[in-house]
Amino acid sequence: MKLISKTLLYYLLISLPLLLIAGAFSYYLINDELRDGTDESLRREQHKAEQVIDTFAQPHTLFLTTDSTAFIQPVQQQRLPSGYLDTLIYDKEEEEYVNFRMLRTYYTFKQQLYQITILKTTIEEEELMEGILSSFTLILGFLLIAFIIVNWLLAKKLWSPFHKTLAVLNAYDIKNHEQHSFNPVNTIEFNQLNDALTKMMEKIYLDYQQQKEFTENAAHELQTPLAVIKASAELLMQSSNLKEEEMNRLQVIDNTIKKMASLNKGLLLLSKIENNQFKEQEAVSFKQLVTKTIDSYADLLETKQLKLHLKMDADLVVNMDPALADILMSNLLQNAIRHNHIGGNITIELRDKQLFISNSGEALRISVNDLFVRFKKNDASKDSLGLGLSIVKGIVDSYGFGISYGYVEDLHQFCVSF
Amino acid sequence: MKILLIEDEPELRKSIKHYLHQEGYVVESVADFIKASEKTSDYDYDCVLVDITLPNGNGLDIIRQLKQNNSKAGIIIISAKNSTTDKIQGLDLGADDYLAKPFDLAELNSRIKALIRRRNFEGNSSIVANEITIIPDERAVKVNDELVNLTGKEYDLLLFFISNKNRVVSKNSIAEHLWGDDSDQMDSHDFIYVHLRNLRKKLSEKGCTDYVQTIYGIGYNFKLSS
Repeated sequence: MKLISKTLLYYLLISLPLLLIAGAFSYYLINDELRDGTDESLRREQHKAEQVIDTFAQPHTLFLTTDSTAFIQPVQQQRLPSGYLDTLIYDKEEEEYVNFRMLRTYYTFKQQLYQITILKTTIEEEELMEGILSSFTLILGFLLIAFIIVNWLLAKKLWSPFHKTLAVLNAYDIKNHEQHSFNPVNTIEFNQLNDALTKMMEKIYLDYQQQKEFTENAAHELQTPLAVIKASAELLMQSSNLKEEEMNRLQVIDNTIKKMASLNKGLLLLSKIENNQFKEQEAVSFKQLVTKTIDSYADLLETKQLKLHLKMDADLVVNMDPALADILMSNLLQNAIRHNHIGGNITIELRDKQLFISNSGEALRISVNDLFVRFKKNDASKDSLGLGLSIVKGIVDSYGFGISYGYVEDLHQFCVSF
Repeated sequence: MKILLIEDEPELRKSIKHYLHQEGYVVESVADFIKASEKTSDYDYDCVLVDITLPNGNGLDIIRQLKQNNSKAGIIIISAKNSTTDKIQGLDLGADDYLAKPFDLAELNSRIKALIRRRNFEGNSSIVANEITIIPDERAVKVNDELVNLTGKEYDLLLFFISNKNRVVSKNSIAEHLWGDDSDQMDSHDFIYVHLRNLRKKLSEKGCTDYVQTIYGIGYNFKLSS
């Protein structure tokens, strides 16, 4: 629920009962006043009737009004109580019961008891009451609608800095940190919010920078110690009296150093891509690039007896850093070779703005979502570093290209959209 | 043959020095920029191995200095940075080669040899190892004056062996020499085996002794001396 709807709802929830109570209160107040007025006029009529009785020579019933609503009647004793009361009288013309206010009193004149009954219709008072009530309701309704509209407009205006802040946050991309800033506004609270957010974003950005630098620095700093181990192992290999077991140990060390060096290289490459350190722009022909990459992997393709299918009728030319294009293509091809079986197939196809590469191979054991995540390997035992596809993804992301993966009919299919 | 090694990491310095010393080079080593700067201006070297990140200075400035003094020394950059910009900048300044850490000593050795060969004989060199003669300019190999028809990889393998003769060369070193960065992507040891088998066959067909000894588990040794 929107904040404005919530605010209005709460206002309504509180103001409606209040208005009802106030309405009821004023209804009774006005009603009371009107009744007092009626009673007052009835009392005046009573005085008049008493004066009329004072003029009587002998007792008789007298109708004071033409419609027989006020009359004087001689009675033997007070049968009915005196005082004001409300009553309903059937109106023959209107064919309905009509509200009347009645005053009944007794008056003694020359030892004769008279009953004075004065009736007065309250239709006028009721109509007045109705008029007051409907105008009251009208005013209230109008006020309510005006209140809602004004509130809505106000909220829109007052909250506009908030929505601007929200838009900035939504558009925030840590890689383009510099491009984001909040405009100062004249609401203190929103300025405070913007300040707090700016501070938070700066902190996040700083951490992010340090994190990136850490990867890069760590990888760099490891190169020299690795070089030391590697050189020492190599020197050790030259010893003439090594036993077989020692040779095997040395081989393990040598292989592990090699693996670590490759890992370092991969991580460095990734952070360089993420730091946008590849800035050259060149029109890269993928037709040439594919041919070149296949050449350099000819050995591998041959050994695995892989059948290569090329569909490159039209060239695909992309503006990007040539070194990155190189890395992109060779990583994709390496992946297609590595996760293939002996005698399998590889298909490379160039289409308008798209590069397809597919290879035969077993279905993924890891989740497709993990495919491009660093160090996520489909087969832990395989001699893979788990960086190849993350590098591909890094390159694709850095240019805003797209990459998709699908597994159809025992074929792993990658599609890069430029 | 005099080599100056500029490297701040002491253990690496020792190892490189030791290895190159065994190859018969005279190796001097310094650990920082100031000493390196002194050495390069006071003495002549055939080859200078320079690290880029040095205490109190940048290795690239040593290269600038060498070039200013019209030094004839071959320059190989050995750097932990493996950055393309550094590489390009170094080569532009006049360095002859660039080797990223961690590197194989065998690789460093073969690069030094290739560099010195290019410098000293300006291309007219040939490498002789008993009955084998290699003419690097033509990428040609002769056994007892008879031309052997080798593939590119076989030629590279033989040259690498002879550059590191009488030494144990690990399969990883060979793989990296032959395939560079891509070597970790493949079952390179099997490839080496295939290329080596063909090389041996081709050499022995011309009556060449099989000098390649298999060192179990590690690699090979091209043994020329008895």
